[in-house]
Amino acid sequence: MDKQIIISISREYGSGGHAIAEMLSKRFGIPLYDSNLLEIIATEKNVDKDSLKAYDEVPRVRLFSRRVKGQTNSLEENVANLQFDFLKKKAAAGESFVVVGRCSESVLKDYSCMVSIFVLGNKEAKIKRIMGLYNLSEDDALDKIERENFRRKMYHNYYCKGKWGDSRNYDLSINDSILGLDKTADIIEEYVRKRIELMA
Amino acid sequence: MAAQIIAVIIFVLMFLLIVTERIPRHFVTLGCGLLMLIVVFGICMRSSDAVWETLNIRTFVDPDFWVLINGEESSSGINWATIIFIFGMMVMVEGMAKAGFFRWLCLCIAKAVKYKVTSIFLTFMIMSFILAMFIDSITVILFLAAVTVELSQLLKFSPVPMIIAEIFCANLGGSATMCGDPPNIIIGTSLHYSFGQFVTNTGLIAVISMVFVILYFYLVFRKHLKSDLKGEKIKYPEPKEAITSKRYFISSCIIFGIAVILLITHAQTGLTVATIGIFIAVITLLSMPRHAIELLKKVDYETLIFFIGLFIVVGGLEQTGILELIAGFIATICGDKVIIMIAIVLWISAIASAFVDNIPFAATMIPVIKTLSATMGVDLSILAWTLAVGTDIGGSATPIGASANVVGISAAAKSGHLIGWGRYCKYAAPATVIVIGISMAIIYVRYF
Repeated sequence: MDKQIIISISREYGSGGHAIAEMLSKRFGIPLYDSNLLEIIATEKNVDKDSLKAYDEVPRVRLFSRRVKGQTNSLEENVANLQFDFLKKKAAAGESFVVVGRCSESVLKDYSCMVSIFVLGNKEAKIKRIMGLYNLSEDDALDKIERENFRRKMYHNYYCKGKWGDSRNYDLSINDSILGLDKTADIIEEYVRKRIELMA
Repeated sequence: MAAQIIAVIIFVLMFLLIVTERIPRHFVTLGCGLLMLIVVFGICMRSSDAVWETLNIRTFVDPDFWVLINGEESSSGINWATIIFIFGMMVMVEGMAKAGFFRWLCLCIAKAVKYKVTSIFLTFMIMSFILAMFIDSITVILFLAAVTVELSQLLKFSPVPMIIAEIFCANLGGSATMCGDPPNIIIGTSLHYSFGQFVTNTGLIAVISMVFVILYFYLVFRKHLKSDLKGEKIKYPEPKEAITSKRYFISSCIIFGIAVILLITHAQTGLTVATIGIFIAVITLLSMPRHAIELLKKVDYETLIFFIGLFIVVGGLEQTGILELIAGFIATICGDKVIIMIAIVLWISAIASAFVDNIPFAATMIPVIKTLSATMGVDLSILAWTLAVGTDIGGSATPIGASANVVGISAAAKSGHLIGWGRYCKYAAPATVIVIGISMAIIYVRYF
């Protein structure tokens, strides 16, 4: 790509936002950063990737952590900061990429080439998707969705001023249960291409 | 009665807000301090004397605050001597860091031991202990952990064992002197103990404990102290490259030497720690005139404000007689058995400091041990050394017990090495129990 473009996809659990991010990555021919981000960081730092992944997008436990001169013993926060620093470094290097979650819409807000999307879905559609993906009962799927969404919300709202899922924090909020993943991806692609055209 | 209840509520509120970290801790203590002044002293007690006594402004015009001539410095209310001394040391440490002193020292030692992992492990533990005797443990660990991570990447070993051991030794070193750890500064200035008295009491305990600590950490970590290098050629960092300015480096070394001499001799010279703090700050700023503003900006004013608020809140507990009630409660439990009292003060201080900030704990406990000493006829100095050792060492047990722990764990995490509660406590908690046990044995043998 000639112009730098960063597509930040935030998503409700079970909405299919990650699948849309994968489609956009392929369509624009740019890398996708999700949990693989920690694998890259682990390789760079020569450490075990699983030890980092255990704290991926996990909210900080206040009771068991302290802050001293801007430093903290919270592993959740330190892992989050490793990811934020990685994203900032990639963005500063002029790279284009799609990033899923990781507070990217806030972390990279200073980059005018960043397009922020929030993907949501209808409750029934999300339950159906999670039931199929993890072979769960309806009740278990709903529990999982609520638990994961709560975790994402807590994680996001700790690091960002704007609230998770609040449409005012994103360029585009879209419910993919109406049109399905492919057509929703088409709309987002069209929107991103228009944004690229507008870039100086 | 109403004043006492409100004072306790404000104190508990302050502790809870510090632990939850929803509001910066300096705002918490200052806000709670203001509440104490207005609600407890102003509305409930209607005592302007209590307000002035707690603010302790008049101490500045007391000649004994600067040089001990007639007797003892004032000790009630805000402990301005502690605040001024910490300010002075902060300026000096910033100057030393600017000159590259700490990194230079770490690299020199690593070079001197020929970059052997086990030797670096042992020497860095000792260096951490010695530096923390005079410099705050946060700064010691900030630099030591950074160099440890750098060397671990170069020599291909895990920095985690080394960082845990360095943290522990920094906290232990801090317990050895009056200026090593904030609780000691507060205890020393509040109860009028000299640097020399600390060294010959808590210092002796720390040095004896250090021998066991080195042995313990070597035994538990020896299998991890191996380099994975396979004959690769390495370009080692040169210590002299760490020095940013030779002139500043020399001047900061001299100032550090002067600070150490002034502290060691302050009982003889009569200079108080407040005077030493001001003097050290002034000569540091004069030696780096072009960077004076920068150094002053880098001073951690939030911590100083935190101290001011904290002293007011503790002053509130003191004025309302709450701390006397706590002392009376401890005295009732112990009966006339001083040995049990020592054990209670030591272990409660250690356990509390493992989970909550040891500075407010120590500040609160000082009036308590003063009352215990007066009512039970126990030598105050024994209780003071017990409190100092308990609060300083107890903080080593958990990742949140002391500031150095947080800074060290954060430095490791930035390099991708995560030290969680389980991993940290597995090694540090037994070491803490060992040192507290040794300390208790020394206190019993020496003072009873």
